[in-house]
Amino acid sequence: MLSYIDPGAGSMILQALAGGVAGAMVMGKLYWSRIKRVLRVGRGKSPVDEPRA
Amino acid sequence: MVEASRRSTSLAPEPGSFRDWDGRVFGGDGRILRALSPDGFADWEALAASRLFERFRESGELVETAPARDEVLLEVQALDPEGGWIAVLDHERLPYVSYPYEWSFSMLRDAAALQLRLLSAALEEDLMLKDATPYNVQWRGAQPVFVDVGSFERARDGEPWPGYRQFCMLYLFPLMLQAYKGVAFQPWLRGSLEGIDPGTFRALFGRRDAVRPGMLRHVFLHASLERRYAHRAAEVRSDLQEAGFDRRMIAASVAGMTSLLAKLRPSERDSTWQDYDTTCSYDERETAAKEAFVRRAVGLQRRQLVWDLGCNEGRYSRIAAENADFVVAIDSDDAVVDALYRSLSAEGNRVILPLVVDLANPSPPLGWAGVERRSLVGRGRPDLTLCLALVHHLSISRNVPLREVVRWLRELDSEVVVELPHRGDPMVQRLLGSKREHAHPDYNRGSFEDALRSLFRVVDSLELASGTRTLYHAAPA
Repeated sequence: MLSYIDPGAGSMILQALAGGVAGAMVMGKLYWSRIKRVLRVGRGKSPVDEPRA
Repeated sequence: MVEASRRSTSLAPEPGSFRDWDGRVFGGDGRILRALSPDGFADWEALAASRLFERFRESGELVETAPARDEVLLEVQALDPEGGWIAVLDHERLPYVSYPYEWSFSMLRDAAALQLRLLSAALEEDLMLKDATPYNVQWRGAQPVFVDVGSFERARDGEPWPGYRQFCMLYLFPLMLQAYKGVAFQPWLRGSLEGIDPGTFRALFGRRDAVRPGMLRHVFLHASLERRYAHRAAEVRSDLQEAGFDRRMIAASVAGMTSLLAKLRPSERDSTWQDYDTTCSYDERETAAKEAFVRRAVGLQRRQLVWDLGCNEGRYSRIAAENADFVVAIDSDDAVVDALYRSLSAEGNRVILPLVVDLANPSPPLGWAGVERRSLVGRGRPDLTLCLALVHHLSISRNVPLREVVRWLRELDSEVVVELPHRGDPMVQRLLGSKREHAHPDYNRGSFEDALRSLFRVVDSLELASGTRTLYHAAPA
């Protein structure tokens, strides 16, 4: 379920930045998942093509 | 029966409440009702059971709210059968609605602080605020009151605060604009009801500004992340959830913003009117006579709503408040209004609402379909209007013909206490001094009195001892 206003993607990421050590870990994981996604795209398995569970 | 049918026809959806599909406000006959969808109702039940609901209601910072009777739900369902409403809440009605583009710096900052305190209390009880708009805050005198109980929802794990971007656009950036650049935020908020977006706000600042408190994160980084991740909200949301984002990060962010707000001060600038009362030419005897005249007009009967136009430091607003339920104190100078607000707030005043409005250009109806935000007059007419030491400014500085000023006052359809400084008054001479010779030939006591008597019945008048100013108490003819 989404909010009735657009929270803004950049605005959401920024909130993890304020979260101290835990926030930094979330940022790290966030970028790691992006790297993994780029690698997957490189192997021709775009997440866009995968049906979401 | 007649009364019942009249009732049902006058209840109507509030034009400013349509964005959130889980609730809709209806108003009429002095009632403010909030209809709720099934999801909205579940959120309301969670809020009603929380400790924060009781605490903030008791302090007066959350609007009085109670479930409405069953027949009210039927009335709303009959009025809006497609709405899918399953419950209705009954709200307290606040005396006068105002908008953030009419607030002074400290008012917007106090409203922002209330918004953050509510969010912080909500997070502790597994609740969330789904938005962050100052249009959800109204005033009981100098006390901010959060009026949108529909903003509270049950929190969902792993989700950031959806209102953060809106908080920046409508609270934080306007305050920073005034604090860091000395630029008034009111004209901007009036022009852009959604506020100032991060990219636009970033464009106003140079790299050196990055050292100011809050700029690097909330403005520079915000604008750059927004550009980079445009239209990828859904993707970022699920990534954050997987990466283990949790509510404590929102709490940390709220704590940071709360201390940032406390650091923001309106920039020092010259205000023409700030010390008007101490530097202007009245002597004490004359001030006492003027006060007595106003007090007599105010004392004739109790009024529900008084407007004090050109209120300055609020001396006459306070006199009006002696015998009125509510006073709206209006001035175009934001520094003057801010000083008045701060003193009223320190006193815990609940009767006088100070607003920044240029009366030569009062707030028009704005927003969707031109009805979402109402005009100054459209939000409630006064029973009595004070218009002291103002007419010459409208007429000479702003070139509004004297007759037009009187006609505008008549349109308010209220009694007036109006002061006319004569052409020979030192202040009038000063204003005329910057115009060519024989400017404003219509500005004289004779034409003012003709205009006044053609539209009003003069109840009382008094020429002040200096012989250069006259006060009139008049009722609509």
